[in-house]
Amino acid sequence: MARRRKQSKGEKLETNMSAMIDIVFQLLIFFMLTLKIVEPEGDFNVNMPAQGAPTTSDEIPLPDIKVKLQANPDGTLSGLFFGQRNLGIGPAAFEQLNIEILKVIGRPGDPITKDMAVEIDADYNLHFSNVINAVGACTGRIDKRSGNVVKYIEKIKFKPPTPQSAAG
Amino acid sequence: MAKRERVKGESPAAEVDMTPMIDIVFQLIAFFMVITNFEQTQADERVKLPRDALAKPPEVKLEHTLVLNVGFFRNMDGEKTDPQPWLFNFVDGEPVLPLSAGPQLKKEATLFKNKQIDVKDVTVKVRADSEVQTGIVQELIKLCQDAGYEKFAMSAMSGPEE
Repeated sequence: MARRRKQSKGEKLETNMSAMIDIVFQLLIFFMLTLKIVEPEGDFNVNMPAQGAPTTSDEIPLPDIKVKLQANPDGTLSGLFFGQRNLGIGPAAFEQLNIEILKVIGRPGDPITKDMAVEIDADYNLHFSNVINAVGACTGRIDKRSGNVVKYIEKIKFKPPTPQSAAG
Repeated sequence: MAKRERVKGESPAAEVDMTPMIDIVFQLIAFFMVITNFEQTQADERVKLPRDALAKPPEVKLEHTLVLNVGFFRNMDGEKTDPQPWLFNFVDGEPVLPLSAGPQLKKEATLFKNKQIDVKDVTVKVRADSEVQTGIVQELIKLCQDAGYEKFAMSAMSGPEE
């Protein structure tokens, strides 16, 4: 109590804020300039061990579901084939592929789907976006009510590419 | 003007209250700090990824990854200036042809081995442009397989197609 301050007007202790404000503005500008708005990006995981790897199980594997993607010379899709059937082109074809895959697996999440695989056979010059869409259509769909992913078949294989000269 | 004459005894300097400004500025800094993403440094902006509704951002972050950006040189309007796809951000920042990346992929595999990381646990993240020929991506994957990689992830933008 002995340290009581003298109560005189105008003796308020003033801190010099300018240095701090300088730094704070520097930081603000740095973060504003380094900000990069990145769209969310997802991945499709594919396990592809090198060919010739020994298979450990003795069971006869289920035959792969064959999906073929044919390309026009400019790289656009000219036909999406599920087995022998042509599903056409455009988003409707991929939706149809999604429905066909559901017909094959019967019920999403069935343990048998773990042993099933889709083999994608794409022309050499086909634009990669079509392959991604085909992989997406085989992997599952988005449940419209909950927004969750309903998984169909997770094993995706690729047919080895045919040389460019042969593919034309 | 006469009315503005100072009353005797009032402090001479006009003081501005800085507190609200500092509050706001700190809020802004905190906002930008939280939103800034320093992680995606390996992604290349030249790659225009394909889009698919099912491409959800991974819930668990991949532990060891090798990112391969396959894209085209594009002008300001996004048109291709070179029909040949290139592998960006891979060897010392210089673009290389995807089909000549084999030796470098093997070198990267050796680097992982030196860090006591099994190459089989490394995920190769293929960020391929939507217009890259599928065959080139497949041949690149084949080169990776030859170098010992087994896990692959193909990147796509999440969200419905435009």
